This record gives sequence, structure tokens and C-alpha cells, in this order.
Amino acid sequence: MSPQEAPSIPRSLSPSRMGPTFWKRSSERRNGILMVAPYALHLGLFFGYPLLFAFVLVFQRWDIVTPMHFVGGKNLVRVFQDDLFVRSVLNTGLFLAIHIPLQIAFALFFAELLNQKLAGRRFFRTIYFLPVVVSGVVVTILFQQLFSFETGYVNAVLTALGGQRVPWLVSPKWAMPSIALMATWKNVGFYVILFLAGLQNIPTSLYEVAYLEGATTWQRWRYVTLPLLNPMMVTVVVLSTIGGFSLFIEPYILTGGGPLDSSLSALLYIYNQAFYFNHMGYAATLGLLFALIIFLVVTLQRRFVETREQ
Amino acid sequence: MSRSQLSLVLFLLLHSGCKMDVGHSDSAKRPLLLWTSQNPQERMWAKGLVNAWNRANPGDSVVVQPIPAGQSSEEVLMAAIVAGTTPDICANIWPGIVNDLARAGGVLRLDTLAGFDSLMQSRTPATLRGDFRSPDSAYYQIPWKSNPIMMLYNVRLFRKAGIDSPPRTYSEYLAAAKKITTDLNGDGAYDRWIGYRDIQPIWYQRFFDYYTFYIAASGGKTLFVGDSLAIDTTASNEVFSFFHQLYRANYFPKSKFQGNPFVSQITATDFTGPWNIAWLKANAPSELEFAYAPVPVPDDYEGPVHTYGDYKNIAIFSNTERPATAWRFARYLVSKQADLLLLEKTAQMPIREGLLSDSAFAAFFKSNPGMIPFAAQVPDTRGVEAVSSLPEVLDAVARQFEAASVYGVRSPAEATRRAIKRILVLQDWNS
Amino acid sequence: MKHEADMSVKKISLYVALTLGALVFAYPFVWMAMATFKPELELGGLALVPTHWTLDSYRRVVETVPIGRAFLNSLFVVVCVTTAALVFGSMAAYSLSLLRWRGRDMTFNVILFTMMVPFMVLLIPLYTLVVKFGWTDSYTGLVVPFMMNATAVLILRQSFMTLPRDLLEAARIDGCGDLRMLFTIVWPLSLPALVTAGIIVFIGNWNEVLWPILVVRKETWMTMPQMVALFSVGGGAYGRLGPQLAAAFLLGLPVILAYLVFQKHFISSLASTGLKG
Repeated sequence: MSPQEAPSIPRSLSPSRMGPTFWKRSSERRNGILMVAPYALHLGLFFGYPLLFAFVLVFQRWDIVTPMHFVGGKNLVRVFQDDLFVRSVLNTGLFLAIHIPLQIAFALFFAELLNQKLAGRRFFRTIYFLPVVVSGVVVTILFQQLFSFETGYVNAVLTALGGQRVPWLVSPKWAMPSIALMATWKNVGFYVILFLAGLQNIPTSLYEVAYLEGATTWQRWRYVTLPLLNPMMVTVVVLSTIGGFSLFIEPYILTGGGPLDSSLSALLYIYNQAFYFNHMGYAATLGLLFALIIFLVVTLQRRFVETREQ
Repeated sequence: MSRSQLSLVLFLLLHSGCKMDVGHSDSAKRPLLLWTSQNPQERMWAKGLVNAWNRANPGDSVVVQPIPAGQSSEEVLMAAIVAGTTPDICANIWPGIVNDLARAGGVLRLDTLAGFDSLMQSRTPATLRGDFRSPDSAYYQIPWKSNPIMMLYNVRLFRKAGIDSPPRTYSEYLAAAKKITTDLNGDGAYDRWIGYRDIQPIWYQRFFDYYTFYIAASGGKTLFVGDSLAIDTTASNEVFSFFHQLYRANYFPKSKFQGNPFVSQITATDFTGPWNIAWLKANAPSELEFAYAPVPVPDDYEGPVHTYGDYKNIAIFSNTERPATAWRFARYLVSKQADLLLLEKTAQMPIREGLLSDSAFAAFFKSNPGMIPFAAQVPDTRGVEAVSSLPEVLDAVARQFEAASVYGVRSPAEATRRAIKRILVLQDWNS
Repeated sequence: MKHEADMSVKKISLYVALTLGALVFAYPFVWMAMATFKPELELGGLALVPTHWTLDSYRRVVETVPIGRAFLNSLFVVVCVTTAALVFGSMAAYSLSLLRWRGRDMTFNVILFTMMVPFMVLLIPLYTLVVKFGWTDSYTGLVVPFMMNATAVLILRQSFMTLPRDLLEAARIDGCGDLRMLFTIVWPLSLPALVTAGIIVFIGNWNEVLWPILVVRKETWMTMPQMVALFSVGGGAYGRLGPQLAAAFLLGLPVILAYLVFQKHFISSLASTGLKG
């Protein structure tokens, strides 16, 4: 088809935007749809259909093997009677409450360090990011040893320094905080990079102006850095939260959810309901409910953390 | 897309229907597939029998594989039924899931097959026959072997502590614990304990503490009568309390061990079955003297000591292409020769009547007197009820065990109450 | 003079802080590597270097589980997934950035939306779907659900939008069709973005462990993270930490090596994506 042919172009597509002959093709539309078709089909089959099916499952009792069995709202009623699910959500909340502030504090700290004009920054950046790419399984098994009460490395160091051994993974009080520490160690590098990018986007001229006006380092940080870092801060908080809610493999390997259900994360509980006890309908209900909780939390976070552009 | 990428995609799509395992190829007369547990001695036993069978039945050969790995073999079997990847026969079926397998239509009904009744009459002890019947009065499993849970103890360590006979009651056990649990290297912490249990609230671990001791303390009762919960609360409280005392005094440690602590003589007792004997013989140092005795019971208990039988049975899967051959092979697996081989190779107990009186086994028990306590215990074993979602029921118990016995955050009576409450709720949910 | 002294004190303290940080992040890996060569008894000790180097832990791993096969499985699956994600992802990205058609922006918003839905909502229905198709215990079940990756589409679309239009127009006038344009012109020009998207998909899929645990039961089909996780949890290691650490180290090594080679691409583009997010 020659570019000189002019098929009818919808008003929204203005040729002046993209060059005179670029859009004058009717194959445009066909190719546009065709090329995105594989993706769209895949999306429909492996995302859309399961999503709809999840809503259907809420009202069924199903263990996959025997036929589905309509139970009306019984699954929803069950959620309200299930104190263990509530416990798992609260546990996940505790995890986030420890993990996110720690992560932000350390990520900011190291990002500031890396933002200075020092030789070898690349090297340090590479090292800090290393735990991020490694599988959660590797990190978990590593920390299983490090945190072991009798033979763990951390306790060995503590006792060598004269301290007491800490029951990291065997005490209901310490189990979830230990997992939060481990998760922070693993993911901090990722957020260091994000914060670093955010910091590097702040024009140095602003700092110079502040310095000339007599602001101290702390004041410069508070009134220049923090506000301008805000969009990145929102990103970091939201991403950390969404990532934190999917806590699964760490308690699965380290503690199995114990001791005394203190490290039972919501996803681990849902997994147990679905694949240990074969309650597919109930697990689907929990999954949807939990997704709703995540959505609410993230929306609230954005409202509280996001400041409007000045 | 390049041609090679296209062909890769086609290749993947075409192979979605094909599996590269024995069960689904189209070649004529493919062999029967037998699944056993991962236990090495059982695999050896199975291999020996299968080789002999294949020599005698060249047209009906059998292939044996260990059951695929997973969180538990129960979960693996259910998943196999769903995916249509079941074997023909499995010799590692826990009775607790047989009804789930049957409801899913995954296993063959056996009591209508020729030879089933005579097999039951001649082999299975009368006291146990009814235990393996399903709610619809049919049989979907062949009772095969039992591992009665008994108390394994380190004879030398007990003798060193001045104890010549194994403890029979809770008080005797606690007294022994006090003498044996010691700090060996003077660092203020114990290095040797009377025993050890996995304290994670995993439901099947409770077979080796709560459930066994409950059966013993209640004189042979289980948690249910038919479909309804009928816990002997006195017995349950006594069991929770007994373990609580052990953990409170630190006679049982709360940590995980590397390797087996009994073999390293870090612990002096263990609650386990005869499957352990072969492993101990292979892995324990020669100076380790060990023996078995019935599990301890409450001080005021009288009568024979019951225990959990930890049965594993044999089932034939409905997907099998040759049910008659499979049934013939299954009967072969529980023949006298096979049972004798089971004793010799794996030291596990066939669920067979008159083990100690039958001349076929006399030679074996003469040269293995350590096995006699187990053979004697077999008739006094109990199993589990076939209620729906039994793992969840035991999970409720496991949670209370963790709370009351290991961590002592609530009283034994409260633990029993809460377990009952949660189990009733579970039954209501799952009805 | 005082100012300079202050500056160097500041510099030294910065370096100290940076080095401490590096130690915290790197030392555990170094320790783990060393520990895999230690005899079992020394694992709890403070010494870094083993007194007596032994391959015992590795031997136990290899004897108990088919870790080599698991590695090959992971490799095959990840290569398939990455290739598919890049091919189909760039097709979608091309369509969403360089072509104009009705419904384009809405489609893009739908794709953005899918990134926000947590995987756990889809987990169970997706699992039942895969079971129904008969894709358990096969490469199909491991590859097909992950063949499309929204992150890859985002990255590629971003990159395609920055391409010089005149070049593309010239090619168009020469009669170049869209598919050919994509693979012969756009791809060579977008190599950094392709590499970045490829790495993100590669590493993400290599580390994926929950999905294989659900979909694969037979040892011959297990992926490497799954095998290592089950080896640790399922008692295959008999509670011994040496083999568990050895298995974990084997799992982490390929990724660490790949990362050290490609880290430039990874980190720099990650930062720019983060800004847009």
C-alpha cells in the first residue's frame, strides 16, 4: 500500500504530531492489534479468566478432586470466625511495621553515602545490590544458619563479645522481627538504587542556595532533600509494602509459621489452606480479601506520604 | 518471529499433552507401576520382590519407583489423582486419606474382588479388621504393615544413671529425666537430654507424641467415635501435662538438631517405630546399646499398653489398565514370603495374625529378639478415624500442644478445651 | 587548613561507613561459600576459613537430589520464558508506542492495572487451570503462564518511545512492514533496554519458587530453587546444615555470576524505571 493513499483517520490522531506520512496506513490499525494480540490473549487466559474464576470460587467448596459444591456465603462467614486468618494478617502487619521503616532508613543512609563524590562508588553499589538478585531461598537458608540458636553464627559472635544468645527463630517474640531483619538485609540494595536516582535528580543549585542562606546540613536535608525526594519516597513505600505483603518463602522455610503462629504470614496461611488442607474455595476467598486489604493500605499510604508539588 | 522460535513454541504446545513418565506412553503392554515410600530398606524389599515377580511373570512385568517428593506423601497422591498421573499400585498409603482417595474415585474397590475375604481372614488380626473399612462399608485398602510406636532407649545411658529397667509410668520417666539430663561440659547449659521432639506445629509430628500417648493413656481410645468427636479429656490433659513438665524443666530441648541426636547419644530416648531399627544398625556406632519398651502411661493406669500403629496399606488405583494383574501382584506383596522379607529387610511389622506363633517366622524372631516387643504390640495398636480433613484436626491439636506443652502459655485443661472447640468448628466448616 | 582536615575526616568516615555496609552485605555470602567446604562440626564456629577443606556437603547434596537436572530444568524454563517475554513483549511494546490505533491507550492502562493485582489472588484459579490443561509436571506448566511479562513491556515501550522517528519513517517509506521493522531495525537500536528487560525477566523467573512448588511434584521436573527449598524443608538433608548451605550456594552461584557480568545494565536502567513508576 503506497503511503500516498489517505484512509480516514480518526480525529484523535493528528498527522502533525508524528510526521506527515507516518500514520497514513490502514494497516496501522490491523498491525497494532495483531502485534499486541499474543499478549492480550495470554492476558485473557492467564489473568482475566483466573481472576473471574477466583470470584466464582468464593461461593464454592472445592478440593479440586471432587466436584465443586455451592455453599453460598459460607466462606465469607467463615472468614469472620477465623481468628487464625486475622492473626496472620496482623503478623504481616507487624512485619511491615518493622521492615519498612528500617528499610527506608538504611536505604536513605546508604544512598546519601553513595551520592557523595567518592572513588569506588560503583564497587560499593554493586555489593549493596547483590542480595537483591539472589533467590529468597538462598538467603533464607543462609539466615537459618546465622540465626540458629545453638550453632548460629550471630549468636556465636554475640557470646564471643560477652553477650547472651538470642532465641531468634524459636521465640514467639523474636521470630517475626528476625524475618523482618532478614528481609531488610535482602532488599535494601534495591531501594538504595531508587533513592540514589531520586537524590541525583535534585539540582545542586538548590543546595547551594540553601547553603548561602545559612542553612545547616540538617536543615538542608529537611527542607530540600526530603520534599524533593517525596515522589521516590512514595514509590519506595508502595513497592516495599506490596513486596512485604507477599511474604511467604521465608517463614515457609525458616519457621513453618511458628512458634505459636507468630511468624504465620497471610500468604503462608492461604497456602496452607489451599494446598495442605485442600480448601480451594476458602483460600480463594481469603486471597481476594487480602488483595483488598493490600489495596486499601497502599491507597492510605499514598494519601499520607504523598505531598503535593509546590 | 523467526522460524526457530516458532518451532520452539510449537514443540512446547505439542508436548503439553505428553508426559515423559511410564504411565502414559502408547507402547503395548507397558509394565505396571508400583510406588513405595522413599525409605531405602522398603525400596530394597520392593526391588527384591519385583525382580522375583518379573522373572516368574515375564509378560506382566512391574516397575517400582519411590513416591515423588512433596510435603507429604498424602498430598502427592491426591495431586496424582487430579493430574491423572497415578501409579497402578501404591504401597505407602496412610489409612487416614483412603476415604479422600475413594471419594475422588481414585482407588479401586477391593472387597468385591475374588480372594479378598480369604486374605483378610487368614492374615489380618480380628481386632483390627474393622478399622480399615470405609464409611460406605467397602474396603479400598489392603492392610499391610504397622509400625507400632514404642519407646526407644539408650540402655547404657540409663544404666550409667543407675536405672536398670525402662520407665513405665510418667513419674518414672520424669525421675529418669532428672538423672539423665545433664550439663556435660560445665558451660551452664544442658548438653544431654532425656528426649527430643520436633516442636514445630506440624500435624503428623504429633503421632510421635500427643497422639500415641493419648491412645496409651486412654486405654486404646482414639479421638473420634464414628464421625463425632469423643476425646477422653482426662487422658488428653494428662498427656499435655506430662510433656509440659518435660519442657518446663528443660528435659526436652527446644532447638533443632543437626542429624539424629539419639545416634549421637545427645538424647537417651525416642518415640519411634521399628522402621528405625534398620537405620540405627546402619548408622549408629557399635557401642550404642538400644532396646524398646512400651511408651510410658499415667501413674494410675492399669492394663495393656496401647499405642499408635502408624499403618501403611496397599491400594490399587482406578486408572490401572490391568486391574486383575494388579490385584494378583498386590496379593503377592502380602504373601507370607513377602511378609518375612519385610521383617528381614526393613524390620517393620506386617499386619499379620500370629507372627509369634507361626513357624514360618520363628527363625526370624529367634535371631532378632529385639523385634518381639513390636510383634507383641501389633494387636494393641490403634489407627486414625476416617473423618474429613484429618490433617486439619491434628493441626488443631498440634497448635495446642505447642502452646500448652512446649511453651506453657496455657494450662493442659484449657488446651484440651480449645482443641475440642476448634475441631468442632472445623467439622462444622467441612461438613 | 582546618577545612581540608575536616574534609578528609569526613571522607574517611564516609569510607568507613561504606565499607562497613559492604561487609554487612557481602560477608554472609563469603561466609556461606566457605562454610560449604567446612566439615559439619565446624559450622557453628567463628572461623571463616575451614581448617580442613572438604567436599562432603556437596557430595551429600548430589547424592540425595538430582540437583544437576534441576539446574538444567531451570535453565531451559528461564531461557524459554525470557525469549518469549522479549519477543511477544516487544511486539506489544511496539504496538503500544509506535503505532496508533483506537483503544491503544486503554489497552496500556489495562496492562498497568494487571501489574497491581497481587499474584496470590490468581494463584489458586491459575493452578486449577493448569491442572485442567494437564500441564503439571511438565515444562509447559512452568513456561506458558509466564510467557508474557508486563515489566518487560513497560521497559521496552519506554525505550521505543525514545527512538529517532526519522529513521523509522525512512524505513517505512522504503516499504518496510511493522514486524520486519521491529526485529530488523528497532531491536538493534534498543539493545540496552532488551538486555535490561531480559535480565529482569531472567532473574525473576530463575528465582521463582512458589509456582514450581505448586505445579511440579516429580523430582525430574523440579526447578533448582524448588529443589533446594524442598531439600531444606523436606528433611532430605536430615537436618544437617552443611548440605543445605551447599545446595543454597549452588543455587545462588549462577545468578551472582550473571549479575557481576551484567550489573551495569541492570542497575542503571532499574533506576530510570523506578523514576517513572
